[in-house]
Amino acid sequence: MTMIIWIGLMLVGSLAWVIWFLKYPLADNGVDLQQSNIDLGRQRKLELQADLDQGLIDQEQFDQALEEISSTLALELGQTQAKAFKQSNITLWSGLVIVLLPIFATGVYQNLSNYTPASKATTPDLAPLSLEQSAAKLKQHLSDNPKDAEAWKMLGLSYFELGKIKESLDAYEQAYQLNSQDPRLLVEYASAMISANDDQFVGRPVKLIKQALELDPQAPDALYLAGMFAVSVQDFELAKALWNKALNALPEQSVDRQALVSILQELSRVESGNISNTVTVNVVISDEILASRSAEDFLMIYVKAAEGRPMPIAIQKLPIKAFTGQVVLSDMNSVMSEKLLSQHDQALVVVRVSTTGSAMKQADDLQVVSEVVSIADNPSVTLKLN
Amino acid sequence: MLVELGHFALVLALAFACLQAVLPTIGLFRGNLALAQLSRPMLWAQFFWTLIAFAVLMNAFVVDDFSVKYVAGNSNTELPDMFKMSAVWGAHEGSLLLWALILSGWSVAVSIFSKRLPNEVLNHILIILGLISIGFLLFLLLTSNPFERLDIIPTQGRELNPLLQDFGLIIHPPMLYMGYVGMAIPFAFVLSSLIRGQLDSTWLRWSRPWTLVAWAFLTFGIVLGSWWAYYELGWGGWWFWDPVENASFMPWLVATALVHSLSVSEKRGAFKHWTVLLAIAGFSLSLLGTFLVRSGILTSVHSFAADPARGAFILVFLILVVGGSLALYAWRASLMRSQNSFHWLSKESGLLINNILLVAAMLSVFLGTLYPLLLDSLGLGKISVGAPYFDAVFVPIMIPAVLAMVIAPFLRWKKDTLTRVLGLLKPIWLAVAVLFVLSLFMVENVSVSLAVFLFIWIVLHSLSLLVNRIRQKGATSLAFIGMILAHMGIAIFLLGATVTTQLGIEKDIKMEIDQPITIKGYEFVFKGVDSFSEQNYQGHKGRIEAYYEGDLIANLQPEKRQYVTGMPMTEAAIDPSLYRDLYVALGESLGEGAWSLRIYYKPLIRWIWLGGLFISLGALLAAFDRRYRLSAQRVSAQSRIES
Repeated sequence: MTMIIWIGLMLVGSLAWVIWFLKYPLADNGVDLQQSNIDLGRQRKLELQADLDQGLIDQEQFDQALEEISSTLALELGQTQAKAFKQSNITLWSGLVIVLLPIFATGVYQNLSNYTPASKATTPDLAPLSLEQSAAKLKQHLSDNPKDAEAWKMLGLSYFELGKIKESLDAYEQAYQLNSQDPRLLVEYASAMISANDDQFVGRPVKLIKQALELDPQAPDALYLAGMFAVSVQDFELAKALWNKALNALPEQSVDRQALVSILQELSRVESGNISNTVTVNVVISDEILASRSAEDFLMIYVKAAEGRPMPIAIQKLPIKAFTGQVVLSDMNSVMSEKLLSQHDQALVVVRVSTTGSAMKQADDLQVVSEVVSIADNPSVTLKLN
Repeated sequence: MLVELGHFALVLALAFACLQAVLPTIGLFRGNLALAQLSRPMLWAQFFWTLIAFAVLMNAFVVDDFSVKYVAGNSNTELPDMFKMSAVWGAHEGSLLLWALILSGWSVAVSIFSKRLPNEVLNHILIILGLISIGFLLFLLLTSNPFERLDIIPTQGRELNPLLQDFGLIIHPPMLYMGYVGMAIPFAFVLSSLIRGQLDSTWLRWSRPWTLVAWAFLTFGIVLGSWWAYYELGWGGWWFWDPVENASFMPWLVATALVHSLSVSEKRGAFKHWTVLLAIAGFSLSLLGTFLVRSGILTSVHSFAADPARGAFILVFLILVVGGSLALYAWRASLMRSQNSFHWLSKESGLLINNILLVAAMLSVFLGTLYPLLLDSLGLGKISVGAPYFDAVFVPIMIPAVLAMVIAPFLRWKKDTLTRVLGLLKPIWLAVAVLFVLSLFMVENVSVSLAVFLFIWIVLHSLSLLVNRIRQKGATSLAFIGMILAHMGIAIFLLGATVTTQLGIEKDIKMEIDQPITIKGYEFVFKGVDSFSEQNYQGHKGRIEAYYEGDLIANLQPEKRQYVTGMPMTEAAIDPSLYRDLYVALGESLGEGAWSLRIYYKPLIRWIWLGGLFISLGALLAAFDRRYRLSAQRVSAQSRIES
């Protein structure tokens, strides 16, 4: 109700403004176009005379320039047409504005606004809680209501957002024990497990995804995750089928549609072999290095610009134990979507063995850098760590 | 509720933009004075409601209203208030709203400060500006609503990109938009003249100061962007020939040609075709820049295709604006014929060469920017066009332009003689030759030698021109001083850019505590790294002491930050001065107290931005020349008395 009153006031004020200036139009400033051109012509003549007096031009040039000014002025005056204004029927125009302005404004607003009273109800008057505060509140609630599966699920998500993966998995497990038939829970739990396992689709997460799809074959998030699993096992046809199914299940206005469309297009490009630029990196790691490193260490293989920004352009991170000796970097591995690998010219290839898997080089990391390569040549580089 | 009222205010702004365009058009067509005079009040109402909408959005950021999708996507509770406010224009929707606000602001300025323009001319101009406003407001409301609500309200927003959490973000986009949007003003002047069929002295005289102010802002905005990239990105560059940068540089090149072309049109009634086409091109390139940046096509042609609504809207708008204005130009081409000829050796020919070279330079940048996108969209593969192309093509075009830049002011209008011109220039050329030869003993680098030559060339010619003017006329005008300043700005910029590029030193080194390293006589001593935390990030801060000839000259503290959302950032430490910058960026910890550091020695780098400031200042001075400040009555009375 309050909003209607405010909108009404805004419309009334706007209408009053328009009708006031219809009834009392702004006065003309009295500057006539013809007179303006004449005055400017005179000013030019004065400047010309000053140039002659100061010896900047001779008499012949003065006469020619003067003639040009006069002919230009004559041309301009010939183009100028005096406009006659007549009395206006402001009643008609006021009436039109009074009718059309509110219809236009409210009609446009109605069609474009996604405001509903429900949105208003959920808008808190208090400042929103931080993630830590939300998690603390949930824990407090769960201490009194330990069988609230939904709360355990939200706690799992909060911890995940906070980067507390172990606590997140514990909370999700609690939720799962209470309600293993919630497809969304299964998908979130699987996502958390996959993140905790360095994005590896092995073991229980795959079972959870399958279970989610059995419960809800149309669940877009489950279909998406299943598609990612299919990509991880190089089954691109299955991935495409799953993602297309997810696309059909999403509403038209969903922002996730765009992400899915982009992924599908990228997949098509990869499949058609239409990757115009790749960098193949062969890495030879000596036995001594392998013996001295933990099996849990990571291999970071990335490309950075030969000149300029030191940030990786494209990167792959693998557990060292899973490394097969070769990695192919393409646009799909690009770090920034606005700076794809193929858009770069000269680059350096870097291979690093890292304990933490952090993007920033740590003290005990081992690193080797290649010579400058040209991306356009789809180079193949061999680097040795010994 | 406030957010919904802000949304409604934007709708009212659109309604008033429609009234601003439609009612005065009917009034002018039917001779209805009341309707014709509505352009200004409707514009003021449009500005008011746009301002209200902007204020509501800014308030949503300040109070952390994460029910608004745009706020949730670009702010969080940990962000300092200053950056919450500037986050309004940190992403697409808000920056478009800023565009619309600045456009209406410019229009209001034209409506207030155009007392010398006949009302019928002003009304036409405001109608055109109203049509442009309709385009942008529709774009906002239909495809980029900044007031969209979320069904599920997050407890915390996503963070503003750390790269944008900087003073540079507060000021760079508004200044750049002032220039971008300002190009709509000369465009509106030109279109109104074409529609009226009156390409006369009045519009030529009064469009020039607006063009100069827009050009000044565009220059300032580009300078700010370059400076911001230098100190914010952490690796010492100042220009990358990035498509986003090129999108602002192209209209700048055209605007430069336009201000020069306007001087010929105003003085001699010539070059009207050039002036009209340059004004159309300038605004069209502003719109094209908006399309390139906002459609997503620079991210990927595929992302544009995936969500084409925004890109398609701007593309259609661009086609309407460019197509419509060129059609008008073709219709009125006969009115632009000039009877005023000029000799090959004249100021007009000098400015014609200037126009041709600037447009050629713009086309080279245009080609390098759009060609890769065109190939990609046609599925013909990907190519990368970067600094090597632009350096090879753009620079050779600009060298003759710079050489000719300072010769043209010596030439007379219409016709000059070789004897007179050479008589004036020979002493200057002799002085240039002497100074240049002397400089060769100090400079070995070929590019730097060329830059030094151009610097001496510009400075000596400009000073000589100034001295001659004062001798001949006893005084000089703001317009003339503005020209000298702007040309000097080019000289300063050229020297700074070349010297810093050619003679700058960069070193990536591992440093241990108390270990010194010397670069160009400057000794850097690493003193260690401390951990710290701030409101929305944690980080490491290095301590490096810089000495020169044994004296401590700077304590440099570069930082490496980790924001609460996980985004890392590097903050370089800079010891600035007019003749060199010492620039240090923190790398990674290498264990046992050692860290990797990147140290730059950058000679004359600040001359790049100083030159840009000189150009801006020169343009502003010229815009406030006496001839533009005289009231209409005084001009009329004065000219009658003196004649």
